[in-house]
Amino acid sequence: MKKWMWIPVVLLVTFLGDRLAAYLLTSAVEKSEFRYSRLYAGDGKADIVLLGNSRGLNFFQPYIEEATGKSTLNLSYNAMPADLGGALLRDYMDTYGAPEKLVVDVTFLDRDNEELIREFRPYAQYSERLDSLLKITDSSIYWGTKVAHLSRYGGEVAQRMFYYLSKSDEDWLLDRQISKQMAEDSKSLEPYRNNYTLDRIRAFGKVVNAYQAAGTDVRFVINPYYPAFQKSIMNLDSLALDVRRETGIPVLDYSKSVTGDQNFGDYQHLNKKGAEVYLARMLKDIGL
Amino acid sequence: MVFNSLNFFIFSAVFFPLYFALRGKARLWLCLIASYVFYGAWDWRFLGLIVTSTLIDYYLGLSLEDEQDQTRRKRLLQLSLFANLGFLAFFKYFNFFIESATAGIQSMGYDGSLSTLHIILPVGISFYTFQSMSYSIDVYRKQIPVERNLLRFATFISFFPQLVAGPIVRASDFLPQFAKDREFEWSRFQVGLGQILWGFFKKVAIADSIAPFVDQCFADPSKFGGLHLAIGVVFYSFQIYCDFSGYSDIAIGLARIMGFDFPKNFNKPYFSQDFSEFWQRWHISLSGWLRDYLYIPLGGSRGGKLFTWRNLMITMLLGGLWHGAAWVFVLWGFLHGSYQVLGKILSPYWRKLHDAVRTPKFIRVALNVAIVYFLTCFAWVYFRAGAPNIAMSDQIPIAHGVIGGIFSGEGWNFGAVINKFIVLKGVLLIGMMLFVEILDEKMPMWQMVDQRPAFRVVSFASLLWLIALFGVFSASAFIYFQF
Repeated sequence: MKKWMWIPVVLLVTFLGDRLAAYLLTSAVEKSEFRYSRLYAGDGKADIVLLGNSRGLNFFQPYIEEATGKSTLNLSYNAMPADLGGALLRDYMDTYGAPEKLVVDVTFLDRDNEELIREFRPYAQYSERLDSLLKITDSSIYWGTKVAHLSRYGGEVAQRMFYYLSKSDEDWLLDRQISKQMAEDSKSLEPYRNNYTLDRIRAFGKVVNAYQAAGTDVRFVINPYYPAFQKSIMNLDSLALDVRRETGIPVLDYSKSVTGDQNFGDYQHLNKKGAEVYLARMLKDIGL
Repeated sequence: MVFNSLNFFIFSAVFFPLYFALRGKARLWLCLIASYVFYGAWDWRFLGLIVTSTLIDYYLGLSLEDEQDQTRRKRLLQLSLFANLGFLAFFKYFNFFIESATAGIQSMGYDGSLSTLHIILPVGISFYTFQSMSYSIDVYRKQIPVERNLLRFATFISFFPQLVAGPIVRASDFLPQFAKDREFEWSRFQVGLGQILWGFFKKVAIADSIAPFVDQCFADPSKFGGLHLAIGVVFYSFQIYCDFSGYSDIAIGLARIMGFDFPKNFNKPYFSQDFSEFWQRWHISLSGWLRDYLYIPLGGSRGGKLFTWRNLMITMLLGGLWHGAAWVFVLWGFLHGSYQVLGKILSPYWRKLHDAVRTPKFIRVALNVAIVYFLTCFAWVYFRAGAPNIAMSDQIPIAHGVIGGIFSGEGWNFGAVINKFIVLKGVLLIGMMLFVEILDEKMPMWQMVDQRPAFRVVSFASLLWLIALFGVFSASAFIYFQF
């Protein structure tokens, strides 16, 4: 055998192994109970669609479903950027039509997040929007996923997708109480700003206006913050005003609606107990 | 230019065919120009520094060889050390000394403030400076012949595979290898490529995957519970190991393909049973350098226990400072110095205790490894707090925040750990790496890669799959570039 023969053999084995393993993993994507898998596998239809960043996970689905008797799909994800959130909502509408209600925590309009768009690469094969978003965000990752299909499945989103292969992801919520140290430190917090931009609000406004036009009751909210942290945020009022002006949809501000250390996991997130306190009030306000 | 970038891939695709097509002087010129392009890709202005350093040591080396008067020879050596350490002091330590002096003046109640300069740290300066200095010292000691060929000497100093993060290769090991042209050898290519793939796996699949978890812990430790922080510290110990040893593996693999043999820089350090052994397994080229050019000239272990302990402490303190211009690195060096001194004091009693209770050998080994690993991790906390994005005044509070958080007893349940997915991925990947390292003890991997084509195909394909699956392809720099 020629001394160099192992090189094409390595390349061939690598290529075939990549395609075979990716094929198996792709079928796992479609079987997973993870919310985005359900969205793209045709099993995501819901009466109420929810969206936000990690704070949007405070829309605790088991409680909402029990209290309202309606099905939910929560598209929130940690550090969700507005463009990705918009793409997911448009994909939902294309597949399932308009839901009865769309509830959005507008504090998620505070960021772009290229990293998370990269993380959503397992789903780019199902969505032209996600695919082009990935291409614009990081062309090397985009082309990497075309060359090595396995590279779609190494990120955090893919890992969550595997984790929820045979169990629901709807009952996950931060399961802890804010630490004493954090509570103590909250006495001397630096001023904090939500980094929303008008461009981002306008772009997202187009998405939700399409929902409204299709008959969905769209509700914007600001989920609760830890009281001392809430006080340190300089521009929540202007966020609410700008969102209303740019989209025509009023914002219900619940940022001060929950108090007590026992209800918070940290400054920005309620724990399970706090989420139930909050949702009891919010659901009533939005007619559910 | 970093190894884990498309630019380096293109660079290699051009360089290697040319390298094997050329011979003699032309090949040396190619190596030198390629090394300067590789280095200049970061900041071309620092090429002047490496060229100056090269010329100083080259001409001082010639003078040292020709000079017979011992006093003058000593002065020539001092000049070389002054120039090399002067560059290092200015570019790396100037602001540190100024800030420390200002803090000292202010702590005495005076309202003093000294201006710092906006100095950019040249990548890899500590590595090539040490390599260059070792040449001058060895010529002075007449341990090696002087190199009279400037082209060869400049290539030795700037050789791109190990220029920015080592291993620090001695002139006595490296310069003789330039004596004849190296032919392409399949055996070298196979093993070298295997080392490169293994290095990439450690860097992009392990180190870069767990880095965000570590960054989070050290950005604000007060946000996390004890278990989360403890995992962060353990992850950092593997992040820095995989990052640095990954770089060394790639450097050694590249050099091997080119026909050069570099010494091993890491040898499974977290399996060490005491700290002397740890430093024979961790960053071996630096610890060997410190031993030969600092510890032994200080007197080594030749003057009794107290004298040995003093020399150990000085060596480790300066070794700490070599890593970075911050007090946390000095503290890290102090901890490692203390561990070694305490190890020397306590080990006879420890052995007696084991003998008395007749501890089985595997338990004794496991305990030793666990203690060394635990103490190493403790020291890593200070080391990580010295990251360039953390202000000097925040470094100690952050380190103590992490340690305090771990030992507070709060949040020691897995439910309180955030980003469990990175934890699971990290544990899986680190487990795989350790498994291969343990296996390597029984069946030397590189020998199998070289001699068994089927093993080569399977192991290379597996590494490529793992890199594709778990790799982070953001062309992030290697941690040790900052040193």
